[in-house]
Amino acid sequence: MVVVEQLNRWYTIDKKRHQILKDISFHVKRGDFVLLRGVSGSGKTTLLSILAGLEKPSSGKVLIDGEPIAKLPDIHLSHFRAKKVGIIFQHFNLIDSLSLQDNVLVPLVALKIGLQEAKAMAERALKSANIAHKSEAYPTKLSGGEKQRGAIARAIVADPPLLLCDEPTANLDRANSLLFIDALHKLHQEGKTIIVATHDPIFDAIDFPHTIIDLKDGQIV
Amino acid sequence: MLNNSFFYFFTLSLFKNRKRYFAIVTISTLVIFLLSSVLFLSDSIKYSINSQLELEPDLIVQKRLGGRVVPLDESIVDTIAEIYGVSQVTKRVYGRYYFDKEYSALIFGVDFLDEQSSKALAKLLNREDLKRFLSSESMLVGEGVFNYFKSHFYPKAYNFLTPSGKIKSVKILKVLDRRSNLFSNNLIILPQELAKEILGLKSNEISDIALNVPNPDEAANIQRKLEGLFLNAFISGKREMQKEYENLFNYKGGLFLALYLIVVMTLSLILYQRYSLANSLEKREVAILRSLGWSIKDLLGLKALENIMLVLFSFTLGLFLGYLYVFILKAPLLSELFLGKNLQTQIEFLPHIDYLSLATIFILYATTFLSAVLIPVWRVATTEPKEALS
Repeated sequence: MVVVEQLNRWYTIDKKRHQILKDISFHVKRGDFVLLRGVSGSGKTTLLSILAGLEKPSSGKVLIDGEPIAKLPDIHLSHFRAKKVGIIFQHFNLIDSLSLQDNVLVPLVALKIGLQEAKAMAERALKSANIAHKSEAYPTKLSGGEKQRGAIARAIVADPPLLLCDEPTANLDRANSLLFIDALHKLHQEGKTIIVATHDPIFDAIDFPHTIIDLKDGQIV
Repeated sequence: MLNNSFFYFFTLSLFKNRKRYFAIVTISTLVIFLLSSVLFLSDSIKYSINSQLELEPDLIVQKRLGGRVVPLDESIVDTIAEIYGVSQVTKRVYGRYYFDKEYSALIFGVDFLDEQSSKALAKLLNREDLKRFLSSESMLVGEGVFNYFKSHFYPKAYNFLTPSGKIKSVKILKVLDRRSNLFSNNLIILPQELAKEILGLKSNEISDIALNVPNPDEAANIQRKLEGLFLNAFISGKREMQKEYENLFNYKGGLFLALYLIVVMTLSLILYQRYSLANSLEKREVAILRSLGWSIKDLLGLKALENIMLVLFSFTLGLFLGYLYVFILKAPLLSELFLGKNLQTQIEFLPHIDYLSLATIFILYATTFLSAVLIPVWRVATTEPKEALS
């Protein structure tokens, strides 16, 4: 599902090169649950952004479902992202001026799905994330846990095979974090490939099969 | 991209930004309204001038002494009429009559025996009125003159003071149609003999002679012949008249330019503000959409459609208001800037629109507006979405 080989990412600031990721290589099989662990600044978010096609690597190879995403032109990469990848952000990144249901519709607009079908899919995703009762509410009126469930609904609405979560429990209390992990477990059981970047110790206690990739200073340890 | 879910999102986007868009539409409409009002007004005046010029004779023969126009002896008319290539030779009697320091009107004497004048009179008056006009000492007056008479308690007749010191009472037969006010507002039409008496011309004297030259290639040749006819002959043609009209109205050119500059500056300010509106909130939204699978093309399509709607709406509304203001409400304030205050009545602006100028305004406005919106969106959209989200 995911193949990363000799991946490097650096930024050049004031003619000085800052290495963020160094020689990263790993494989993730379809249906795997992977925890990308590491302290702040270890490169987790950058790696996740590259896997989502939101950022390009400086060198190396990234294949998702056999597609070299770093080399795809914008229009194909955007379509790939809408169809194959669901992203759950640390700050949820819901659009405040849209209702929760309309937020969930956004990826389906990019996939050119008709309105009736898109609304039905959004409703299913909201039910699945257990937030259908708040579908007409605006993000500013939702609690952190509700926003997170809204973000899950949006990530799964197009039924992507790969889910990427960036510090998903950073803004949740313990009870909501456990509910979120439970939701991820269900999605994993449904066959989704899930990669979670986190440094939250709550994930140490998960009791279903998973793989751990530890990052330190941009390298796998 | 253009399916019904896209249009649903498009309407949502318009609705959620309604406050900002309302402000943009209001200012843009105002700018288009000002531009189109100036354009409608100047086009209407130009149209009236050109229509008037078409009615003017090809050449006018005057006598000038020391740069001053003096009366001509009418016996010269027969000599001119004999020149080969000349037609419709008309004796004209006119002059300015000063009522007081503030107000004057142009007195124009018509000769019913003259073919052109009788045709023009027949258009203005019915048979009965024409009989009365010719049999009694009466006049046709423009609306401005009539208002002046009324305000000085002469609603039915006016007592003119002739150069010989006599009082000449002349009845008001009819007020001229206000659609011709640009030219007839301050005009008094009298039978020619009566006009001569009021203006102090002898019975054999006329103000000038108008004539037509059907073959334009002959005009210069005939002008030379006319100049040699008598000492101090001064010949002017339509071109000179056009220049005179242009001088009359084009001194406002600087004013129009200032108006245009203000409008362009206002538009630039709006556009600059719109350009800098690619603020963090908008950047964040663009980045979210990109991360959820929207391509740069999708985003530009959405923003282009939104702003095309705004441009079309504000342009149409601005034009409509401009039309209403100029042609229905008679352009209060702006007409004074264009025509001055000496016209003591409303001018009827004839609706005439230069579509090329309208198209130029639209293209300039639409391309500038859309560029100011789409370039920042494109810039944000082409940066890596992660960068915009961080």
